[in-house]
Amino acid sequence: MNASTAPLPLTPAVFHILLALFGRERHGYDIMQQVKADSGDAVKMGPGTLYGSLDRMIEAGLVAKGDTQDPRRIYYRLTALGRSTLRAETERLSRVALVARRQLGSA
Amino acid sequence: MTVPVRQKESWSLRLYAWLLELYPPAFLQRHRAEMLQNFADLEDAAPSKAKLWVLIGKDLTMSLILQFFGSRLGRYVISVLVVWILIFTVGYLRGGSTPGHPVLHVFGGFLPGMLATYIAMRLYGTPQHSSQIIYVIGVLGALAGFAWIVLFLIGHFPNGSAPAVRNPALQVFGGFLLGMLSMYIATHVYGMPENSSRA
Repeated sequence: MNASTAPLPLTPAVFHILLALFGRERHGYDIMQQVKADSGDAVKMGPGTLYGSLDRMIEAGLVAKGDTQDPRRIYYRLTALGRSTLRAETERLSRVALVARRQLGSA
Repeated sequence: MTVPVRQKESWSLRLYAWLLELYPPAFLQRHRAEMLQNFADLEDAAPSKAKLWVLIGKDLTMSLILQFFGSRLGRYVISVLVVWILIFTVGYLRGGSTPGHPVLHVFGGFLPGMLATYIAMRLYGTPQHSSQIIYVIGVLGALAGFAWIVLFLIGHFPNGSAPAVRNPALQVFGGFLLGMLSMYIATHVYGMPENSSRA
C-alpha cells in the first residue's frame, strides 16, 4: 500500500463509485446508473448501499460533497486521495489480470 | 420531509418512506431526501414493480445489516448471540435435547426479545424524557423480573414438589421479557446504531 492511497484492495462497490465519479461530479441516482453501465449490469446498487458507501468514503477522504443546495440532489466528487486510490487499484487489478492471463494461457 | 420531484406519490414510495425509518436517525438526517428522490427515479425507470422491489429488498437487507452490525450496539448483540450459541451448544452436547435445562429455554427467548425491542424502538423511537425512561424501565423490569421468577419456578416445581421442568415455552417467554429489558438498557447505554467507520 502507498501512503497516498487508501488501503487496497477496494470493495467492488467502492471501486465502481470512484470510477463513476472520475472526471465529473454526479448525484446519487446518476452514480447508480453509471456504476450499472460501467459494470455491464453486474453491480446493481440500491440507495442504502450507495449512501452507506459514500458516508464511509467521505470519512476516509476519498470523496467530498459538491456545492449543492437541493437536499434531493446532492452532488459528490473525487478528492485527490480518491483519484490516487482509483489509479492504484486499477494498477493492482491490471497486474492481477496479467497474471491470470498468463496462468490461463499456459494451462 | 423533502418530497421528491414528481407528479404523484405512489404507494411504493410511501412504503419505501416507511421502511426508511429502520435506518439510524443520523443516517436518515443526511440522506432521507436523496434516498426518496433516488427511489422515485428508480421507480420511474423500472420495467416492473417486481424488479424494483427485488433490488430494493436486497439493498435494504444488506445495508441495514451493515449499518446495524457496524455499530457498538450491533457488536453488543453479536456478543450476546455468540454467548447464547455457545451455551446452547454446550448444553445440547452435554445433555442432549433441552428438557431439564430451563436456563437454556430462557436464553432461547432472550434473543427474540432483544430483536423485538430493537425493531420497536427503531419504528416508534426511544423515550426522550428521564421520567418516561425510568417509567418504561420500571415497568419492563418489573414485568420481566416477575415473569422470569414465576416461570422459572413453575418449570422447576410444576406440582410444588421436586424439580421437574415441564414448561419450556413459559421459560422461553420469560427469557423474551428479559431480552426486551436487556436491549432497552443497552440502547440507552450505547445509543442506537450509527454509521460504521470502515471504508
